[in-house]
Amino acid sequence: MNIQTKKWALPRRSFLRGLGVGMALPVMDAMVLPAVAQTGQQLKARVTEDGFPIRMGFIYHPNGVIVPNWQPKGSGANYQMSPTLKTIERHRSVFQVVGGLDHHKAKSNGDGGGDHARANATFLTGRQARKTAGADIQIGISVDQVAARLIGRETKLPSLELSGDRSRMAGKCDSGYSCAYQYNLSWKNQSVPMPGDANPRLIFERLFGSGKQRKPTESERLRKLYQNSILDLVLDDAKRLKSKLGNTDQRKLDEYMESVREIEIRMQQAEKFNDVKMLEYKKPSGIPRDFREHVRLMYDLMTLAYQTDTTRIASFLVAHDGSNRTYPQVGVNSGHHAISHHRGENDKISQLKKIDHFLVSEFGYFLDRMRSVKEGNGTLLDHSMILYGGGIKDGDRHSHVDLPVLLAGKAGGFMHPGRAVHHRAVPMCNLYVSMLKIMGLPINRFGDSNGYLKNV
Amino acid sequence: MNRSLFSILSCLILSLAVTGAAVDFEEDIRPILSEYCYDCHSDGVEKGGVALDRDQTLEAKRANLKLWEAVLNNLQSHIMPPIEKPQPSLEQRKALIDWIESDVYNIDCNNPDPGRVTIRRLNRMEYNNVIRDLFGINFRPAEDFPADDSGYGFDNIGDVLSLSPLQIEKYLKAAEQVLERAIVSGPSEPEVIEIASDQMQGGNESGYTRWLSSNGDIVARHLVDREGTYVISVSAGGTQAGDEPIKMAVGVNGTVLATHSVKAGKDKPQIYKVEHQLDAGDQRIYMSFLNDYYKKSGPGKGDRNLMVEKLIIEGPIQKGDPVYPPSHKSIFIKQHTEQNKLEVAREIISEFAFKAFRRPVTRGEIDRMLLMFRLADRRGESFETCVRLALQTVLVSPSFLFREELQPEPNNPARVYPIDEYALASRLSFFIWGSMPDKQLFGLASRGKLRENLPAQVSRMLRDTRAKAMADGFAEQWLQIRNLDLVTPSKDQFPQFTEGLKEAMRTETRMFFRHIQRYDLSVLDFLGADYSFINEELAKHYNMPGIQGDEFRKVTLKGTPRKGVLTHGSVLTITSNPSRTAPVKRGLWVLENLLGTHPPQPPDDIPEFEETAEAASKGTLRERLEKHRDSAICRSCHARMDPLGFGLENFDAIGRYRLMEGSFPVDSSGKLVSGETFIDSRELTHILATEKKDEFVRAFAERMLTYALGRGVKHFDRCAINEIVAKTQAGIYKFSSVVLAIAESAPFQMRRGDSFRPDTSE
Repeated sequence: MNIQTKKWALPRRSFLRGLGVGMALPVMDAMVLPAVAQTGQQLKARVTEDGFPIRMGFIYHPNGVIVPNWQPKGSGANYQMSPTLKTIERHRSVFQVVGGLDHHKAKSNGDGGGDHARANATFLTGRQARKTAGADIQIGISVDQVAARLIGRETKLPSLELSGDRSRMAGKCDSGYSCAYQYNLSWKNQSVPMPGDANPRLIFERLFGSGKQRKPTESERLRKLYQNSILDLVLDDAKRLKSKLGNTDQRKLDEYMESVREIEIRMQQAEKFNDVKMLEYKKPSGIPRDFREHVRLMYDLMTLAYQTDTTRIASFLVAHDGSNRTYPQVGVNSGHHAISHHRGENDKISQLKKIDHFLVSEFGYFLDRMRSVKEGNGTLLDHSMILYGGGIKDGDRHSHVDLPVLLAGKAGGFMHPGRAVHHRAVPMCNLYVSMLKIMGLPINRFGDSNGYLKNV
Repeated sequence: MNRSLFSILSCLILSLAVTGAAVDFEEDIRPILSEYCYDCHSDGVEKGGVALDRDQTLEAKRANLKLWEAVLNNLQSHIMPPIEKPQPSLEQRKALIDWIESDVYNIDCNNPDPGRVTIRRLNRMEYNNVIRDLFGINFRPAEDFPADDSGYGFDNIGDVLSLSPLQIEKYLKAAEQVLERAIVSGPSEPEVIEIASDQMQGGNESGYTRWLSSNGDIVARHLVDREGTYVISVSAGGTQAGDEPIKMAVGVNGTVLATHSVKAGKDKPQIYKVEHQLDAGDQRIYMSFLNDYYKKSGPGKGDRNLMVEKLIIEGPIQKGDPVYPPSHKSIFIKQHTEQNKLEVAREIISEFAFKAFRRPVTRGEIDRMLLMFRLADRRGESFETCVRLALQTVLVSPSFLFREELQPEPNNPARVYPIDEYALASRLSFFIWGSMPDKQLFGLASRGKLRENLPAQVSRMLRDTRAKAMADGFAEQWLQIRNLDLVTPSKDQFPQFTEGLKEAMRTETRMFFRHIQRYDLSVLDFLGADYSFINEELAKHYNMPGIQGDEFRKVTLKGTPRKGVLTHGSVLTITSNPSRTAPVKRGLWVLENLLGTHPPQPPDDIPEFEETAEAASKGTLRERLEKHRDSAICRSCHARMDPLGFGLENFDAIGRYRLMEGSFPVDSSGKLVSGETFIDSRELTHILATEKKDEFVRAFAERMLTYALGRGVKHFDRCAINEIVAKTQAGIYKFSSVVLAIAESAPFQMRRGDSFRPDTSE
């Protein structure tokens, strides 16, 4: 059973269900990916001129922003920093404020309420989430996963998904949408989300092992020798089982098999990545009670993951859209979502400003970390492109156009920070296409893109 | 048209011919529609995009199921016709509902469609419980798994439970850890872990040490992989003063293990040891300074402080022969010799795989697992290790992780098939125990006797302690009290809302549910019980005197404003906003979870209610809310939701009873849309428990059926639900009568072939 000879392809999926209710076939993921992605072949990731890999990151800001405080005055290099962004003024030269990017697929488009679920689900996918509480979930592959699929095998982990939500809502999520849409940013394909890990300890262990200085345990020895055989055997089991099942169940087995194969490939390449040098970083012990501490640990881990080249692709859902978290750290004791519908009331607006300020200043902490790591002639951030933003512009209105977006890093010279740019009603996905291109991937379409953004 | 669609249509036509139309549309139905609905929904007037006269024939109506489902829901929930329009009588309403159910839905209750459940993988709770029952060890590896997504209100829905690579990664690790713990495969070398002072917390850091200058703790956390005896050594010293040496206690998770006299100075710390049994998992190890001493001047002048340099944890220490835990013995059911080891291994693996796959295992499957054994054996691993690897394979196999239900012709939607008895055993055990079947269930299934013994088994299972999983899995999600983890009442307004109180609230509701389940009481008690489970902390919160101690006990609520689950602190808190009550949320919660009606989504762009200090000066929340729903479009929906919430206004956002809101008296009287009036929450809960009991039982049955099946309830499940409700009524509303009726229902007992066709056109 040699995995390398197997075709590592997306199983064909389908959308006609039930009583044959006629519906248009959505564009398949496969159609936006070059043929090479369908065969599972790997592309070569681009490296910067000074020889470093380009890193890609996505960070989510929930529930929209207070727009007048977000938008800068003027454009170009001499723009005037807005009150909310003032807190990261010190990073002025390394990020750009990007305006005018839209996510039309996060709009209702006939599906009724549920803007928060849609904002969250569409943010990295650029697709319309099918409205369902459970059966036949359908969205689309997310931009980070496109990159992970094509160049992910150059690193120990193809991608890393983080979440700031320690537990999930029980009962119903937003307006008839399954909670899967609202709690996941990253999607492996149309129906399988890549859930974010919230526990810093577990993330650390995935990245660097248990962090203890010791000789390999018996379990580690056995893992090395036998894990691949175990995976081969269970894949075989899955194939046999699949052949006896109905079509819907078969798709679940496909999920299983795809994931097993991915781990198998990862294992085979594990040796390549064995000598990640341990950094002077304390292994975290769990989820801190204080949210600020939690968020900072997550940013630390992202930095470490990039720094050690354990992964080049990461996403962080700081809080899901619709989150009703309070921010006592900055004196906000009302729920974020509840007050985001502020109807112009000063009291609520001032609280929302505090939350925006808090979230952005923590992003500033991340930029501090990324800039503190020297790499070649520059810093880690110089070799990265980090998108920070959200799928709702104004929480009061649930608008999904002209989204709040920051883009940090130079991406090895492909991006031009230190300015404010206002694009004119361009799909957010155009930026994603640009980012994929910068990664060195021959991608021309993604989500609802209609081109790519040249001026980045 | 694809073939499946065709075959279904022909089925529909066939059954139509057999059942015929029970009601005369022209005679019985059209006049009602015409009088109450057509004004807004016919002849080109299509308010809300709804036209009721467009589907001329019954067939056309049947093809437009979504519309008629919405009509049914709005009729049932009294949302249509709008409140200010003429209302049909209750009989007329029922006639319409019956007509939709019988004619439009066209369900033949004698020949029900059981639907089909998408293959379910174990969720986190189930995985933990299965490991517990499979090995008899209490180890919860799934705590580290990614959270399960939920749909239809529950996190055990086959369609929603997905499998990312991360999930597989965690399964591999869990299988490894579980078997490492369950099987002793020879002496294992103790591990030595050093925890430096900068990895600890408490006191003050100074160089490579940590100091306590007054009585207090220094804490270190350590994750123990393997349980066993460990030596915990503390390198400590300090500054000595007064007439006794430094006293340092060393403890784990709140238990003091030893009190050391620390005589070492600060420059020459010494090692102080204690031996202790540690369980696997996260351990909190602490060092306490017990005898602070400080004298500024005069005789005895000095300052006594404790310094901790590092902590060394060594173990597990093996003493003598390895001790075999019960899990080890339960796996190695037979001794082996060099000659018969393959046969013994086969027996061991078969036995284990049978339990793990929850069904008989084929010879081919065993052969494949044995491949693993032989591979390791050839490499010279010990017998135990070879077995361990084979079992590790079992624990990652799809037949373990998924609950498979095989059926002949799985893709023939016309074929309805009773699930086999092993699958039935699993459906039962996962429903009631959130875990795998036990010996007795397996035994009955193997003899084909489970179906005929269903009532006895259900009542046995409900009495078993494992049935507590229904509180963990079903009740916590049905009542949404899991959301206690998410609520954050304003610290300024509600400083009394502590972790302890929150846990007490959760415990109250869980114990209340368990009590009704355990003693097989009426499910109507959920609404009307005049008892609950309370400890001192909660009693203080509820202002009930005379209850002391941390123990929860059953107390009467007579003479208090509380009654039933609706007045539990947990429910009142999760249905509030952080800084105020949310009557609409409470009303919606009652409608959806207790009465089973689902108001339509609010129109886009509807303002949420304001909650500023300024607004609070304009009257009570209630007065302001009534203003807010002053628009016609929102009225009919809110007329149904709001009174339910207003009736609970005497309870604040963390469930305390109150008579005043600020400087305004609270008015919790109201009138339900169905006409009943009440003056306060006691009367409201009484109405729910009496007048609304049938709606409640239906809602309860529907929620529980969703949980039991792991899929959303569909229109064709109506026969099953009607039957469950009827059986519950006949069973004097006993908890077990609902569970048994669900277990006996068609969707639980059967599955039909899949009509889904993967598209191959590409």
